Amino acid sequence: MIRHPLAWGVWATAVLAAAFIDRNPYLQGLLLLVVVNAFLPYRGRRRVGTWKLALALALVPVLFSVALSRFGQHVLFTLPAIPIIGGRWTLDAVAFGASTGLALLLTVAVFAVVQTTVRSADVVAILPRPLYRAGTTVALALAFAPKTLAAFQSIREARQLRGQRTGWRSVPALLLPLLLTTLERALQYGESLDARGFGSGRRSRYRPLRWTAPDLLVLIASLAALVAIAVLPGVPYNPYLELVPRVPNPDQLLAVGLLAVPAVTASLSRMDHAPHHA
Amino acid sequence: MAAFLSIRPAHAAIHHAALVIQHASGSVITRCVAFAEDQITGLQLVERSGVQYDAQNFGSIGSAMCQLDREPSSVPSGCFGSGPYWQYFHRRGAAWQASAFGASSSILHDGDMDGWHYAAGAGQVPGNAAFVSVCTAPPPPAASATQVAHAPNHATPVPTATPAPSTSLEALAPSDSPLPNAVLTSTGPPQQPPKAIALGPWLALGSMAILLLGLGAVNLRRRGP
Repeated sequence: MIRHPLAWGVWATAVLAAAFIDRNPYLQGLLLLVVVNAFLPYRGRRRVGTWKLALALALVPVLFSVALSRFGQHVLFTLPAIPIIGGRWTLDAVAFGASTGLALLLTVAVFAVVQTTVRSADVVAILPRPLYRAGTTVALALAFAPKTLAAFQSIREARQLRGQRTGWRSVPALLLPLLLTTLERALQYGESLDARGFGSGRRSRYRPLRWTAPDLLVLIASLAALVAIAVLPGVPYNPYLELVPRVPNPDQLLAVGLLAVPAVTASLSRMDHAPHHA
Repeated sequence: MAAFLSIRPAHAAIHHAALVIQHASGSVITRCVAFAEDQITGLQLVERSGVQYDAQNFGSIGSAMCQLDREPSSVPSGCFGSGPYWQYFHRRGAAWQASAFGASSSILHDGDMDGWHYAAGAGQVPGNAAFVSVCTAPPPPAASATQVAHAPNHATPVPTATPAPSTSLEALAPSDSPLPNAVLTSTGPPQQPPKAIALGPWLALGSMAILLLGLGAVNLRRRGP
């Protein structure tokens, strides 16, 4: 399995570049398959909410585009002169919104994959020494938000079990225990850092992060895809000019194929069932 | 692979697009432009019509027309000046519609018509004109790729503002003294081969999608960590 954060970072950059540079819907569809394939070997229940958010984000541009844009030649219907939404609603605007929405969906999906596969401890470990302290602080701060949200849910469930109200009126009653829990966790973090000698000198690692063959393979394939996307860009898709997108050329398909290397290596390798904890 | 799988049509189609230019004085000139490609840009239409023009590129928005058919007499600073300017329209059905893009970014297909009007104030559409009044009926089916390939490689602009050009293949042939009333204004690059209907990219796209779906099925059967 691919573990190195740098390999995943370059892969994510290449996928986002491919998704945004020409926004061809055919390529975006293939990229979505690639990202889903990269996610499947690492899937867990926790990311379902992320995918729901991504789908919701993908729909918003479609609604905005079709309701607010009056350009395009393929008219679906015409509304009377109502402020803002009145006028021609066009298929071109739907296509433009869908293309934008798909790019947003891909962005969230890529970050969901990176969040699932990369351990924050590994990211901190590969930081240059001058950035180590700042990196650790940022990693802790980023981890604090989801943990606070989880604590909020726990307190809410505890109140439900006791038969107390859980609506918005109960929020003030939830804040005090949440504040105490958060402060307690902050103290625990501090003690934990102190116990591990944070800031006392160069950090040693019990199990150093090494480059494996799949890591290198993904890195090289992603870099090659990135170069191909940058050097041989396709014709940007603009539904207002041409509604039906052009079929991607073989260079673009090859670049997308290279981005599927994480999914291929994951399907070939034995599954590492050891849970990773950041 | 695409070369092996491409299917070329027996004959190439000649496409036509119409151009209407209305000056501030009200005088109108029209042009019918034939082209071999599937589509051309609005700027290419003006260029191939042989009408004098001066355009300025505004990046992704496209090109703006600063001077057309010697109007205004000198190109204003900043292209537009402060008075009238060249307004750009597309013919949609029986009405003119303001273009959302510059001439270099708008696309014309066979049967499309562009209009330019030198006027002050937005939405000053050119006078009514129908495509058939500018371009006559499409060429007969006898038009073949071979005949098109013999067409000249240079535009043959009409020096006067006379509409209703002929669409016969003779009109596409080079002529030392083109008759203003009978010559088609210009054609697309004649040496360009007819557009191929390539199956290769579609097959490659389908194969890639099937491979990824198969890979997804394999990964779906594997238990996540």
